[in-house]
Amino acid sequence: MIGLGVESTAHTFSCAILEKKGKRGKILSDVRKIYRPPEGEGIHPREASRHHVENSAIVLSECLQEAGVTIKDLDIISYAAGPGLGPCLRVGAVVARSLASYYNIPIYPVNHAIGHIELGKLLTGAKNPLVLLVSGGHTMLLAFLNKQWRVFGETLDITLGQLLDQFGRSIGFASPCGKNIESLASSTSNYVLLPYSVKGNDVSFSGLLSATKSIVPKSKADACFSLQETAFAMISEVVERALSFTGKKELLIVGGVAANKRLSEMLQDVCKRHTCKFFIAPQKYAGDCGSQICWTGLLESQVKKGVSLENTFVTQSWRLDSVKVDY
Amino acid sequence: MKLIKKGAEADIYLTKWNNFPAILKIRKTKRYRNLILDSKIRKHRTTKEAQTISEVKSFGIPTPIVYCVNLKKSSIIMQEIPGKTVHDLSDTKIIQLSKEIGKLVGIMHKNGIMHGDLTTSNFILYKNKVYVIDFGLSQKTIKSEDHAVDLRLIKEILNSAHAKIMVSAWKNFLSGYKSVVGPTNYAKIIHLVYEIESRGRYATVV
Repeated sequence: MIGLGVESTAHTFSCAILEKKGKRGKILSDVRKIYRPPEGEGIHPREASRHHVENSAIVLSECLQEAGVTIKDLDIISYAAGPGLGPCLRVGAVVARSLASYYNIPIYPVNHAIGHIELGKLLTGAKNPLVLLVSGGHTMLLAFLNKQWRVFGETLDITLGQLLDQFGRSIGFASPCGKNIESLASSTSNYVLLPYSVKGNDVSFSGLLSATKSIVPKSKADACFSLQETAFAMISEVVERALSFTGKKELLIVGGVAANKRLSEMLQDVCKRHTCKFFIAPQKYAGDCGSQICWTGLLESQVKKGVSLENTFVTQSWRLDSVKVDY
Repeated sequence: MKLIKKGAEADIYLTKWNNFPAILKIRKTKRYRNLILDSKIRKHRTTKEAQTISEVKSFGIPTPIVYCVNLKKSSIIMQEIPGKTVHDLSDTKIIQLSKEIGKLVGIMHKNGIMHGDLTTSNFILYKNKVYVIDFGLSQKTIKSEDHAVDLRLIKEILNSAHAKIMVSAWKNFLSGYKSVVGPTNYAKIIHLVYEIESRGRYATVV
C-alpha cells in the first residue's frame, strides 16, 4: 500500500510517500520546505501560509519524483488536520483535497501529534513506550491505554519549544532557537538559580521564561546554560515520575526538541536509573515532516475507509488524547 | 536493608528503627541534574516532607510517624505502613475509596496545605484506613488556585491510569471533597480547575 502524507501545521510544508507492507513501513521520499521568520521574530501565520502555497507544487512533484511513483499509484492521501495554525493547516488540506477529488483517492485527516508518536514508534521499534512529545506545540507525557493515548503529565502553560524560542528571540536569535541556545550554553558552566516549577507530573515554564530574561544583562551564556539545566531537569523529573508511576520499561522521545543533545543525555541517565530502554526519533524525522502524517494515515486505513470531502476538516485545537485509536 | 522501591525522586528501603520495621527514604543525587540545583531541591523537599507529614496529623490526616531526618543525606526514616497503594487496588475498591480520598484532600486544603503530588500511589490502604504519603511537593497555601492544581492532578491521573473508572471515581472524590470544604469553596475551586484545563495546550476553547 502506498500513501502520500501532507504536513503543514506550522513552519514546515512537507510531502512524503511511504509504502506499507504488513506492519512494516518504508519511507520512499520526504521533501520539506521550511518557512524561516526574520531574526528575533516568531512565525507569522499569514506569511507562513503564503510560503506553503508558493512551495506546495514544487514539494509535491519533488516528492513524487524522488519516490519514483505517480499520483495514480497512490492508494491513500492523508493530511495534518490539526492541531496547528489555521492558515497553514488550510494549505495542506487544500492540496490533499484537490488530489483526492480529482484522482478519486481515499483521503484521511490525521492528528499531527499522533503522527509524531506513530512515526517515532515505526522508526525506533519501541513497542509499549512512555512517550515524551517535546516540540513547539507540545510538551506532553503519554502512554497508550484502552485505545487512546493518555496524558500522564504536560505543561500547564507554554511548551518547551516555546520556552526556548521565546527566550532565544528575546536575545536576537532566529526561530527555531534550540541549536543556538545549546551552543552558547556549552561555553559556560556557571549556574544561576532559576524558578523550578514541577507540579506533580506537570510542569510550568512561564515563570522560568521571565526569570531567565531578567538575568540576561549579566551574561547571555549563563542565562542559556541555566535555562537549559533548569528546564531539562524539570522535564527529566516528570519523566521519572511518570516512569515510576506507569512502570513502563521504554521511553520514546519525539518532536523537534528531541534534537537537543543535553536533554537526551539527561533522559538517558534517567532511563539507566529505571532500567528502561531509551528510544529517540532519528533527528531527520523528529521534527515536523510528511512521513508522520503519511504513516498514521496508512495505519488508519487498516481499519477505516477514508472520509468524504465534506468531512475533511481542519482544526487548530485538537488534543491527541481525544483521538480513538483502533488500529 | 532491602530496597523496596526506586521511586521517581527517592529510593525507598525497608529498615529497622529501635527494632521496629521502618522505611528509609533517601533522595539521592541525580547525576543528570546540575549540582547546585540538585542539592537545593533535595534539601528543600526533605525538609518540606518531614514538616508537613507531622503537621497534617494535627488535623487528623493519617500519615506515617517520622522517626529521624538527616538533612545532609536528604533522608527520612519513618513508620512503615504495610498496606497496599490505592493504585494497586481493584477498580471497585478504588471507586469506593475515592470518596474518602476526596475528604482527606478537602481536610488538607481547608487547613491550608496543598499536597502537590496527588496520585493514586500516594495513598495507602492499611487496616481500613487511608494513609497519605509523599509530601515532598507540599506547600502551605490558602490560595484556591493552588488547591485547584491539586485537584487537576488527581483528575489527570484518574483520566489516564484509571480511565475505565474515571467517571465514577471522580464523582465520588468530588462528593467527599465537597462535604468537607463546603459548597461555596467547592464551586470556586471547581471553576478554577476548568480554568486551568482550558489554559492547557489545544484545549477545546468554548
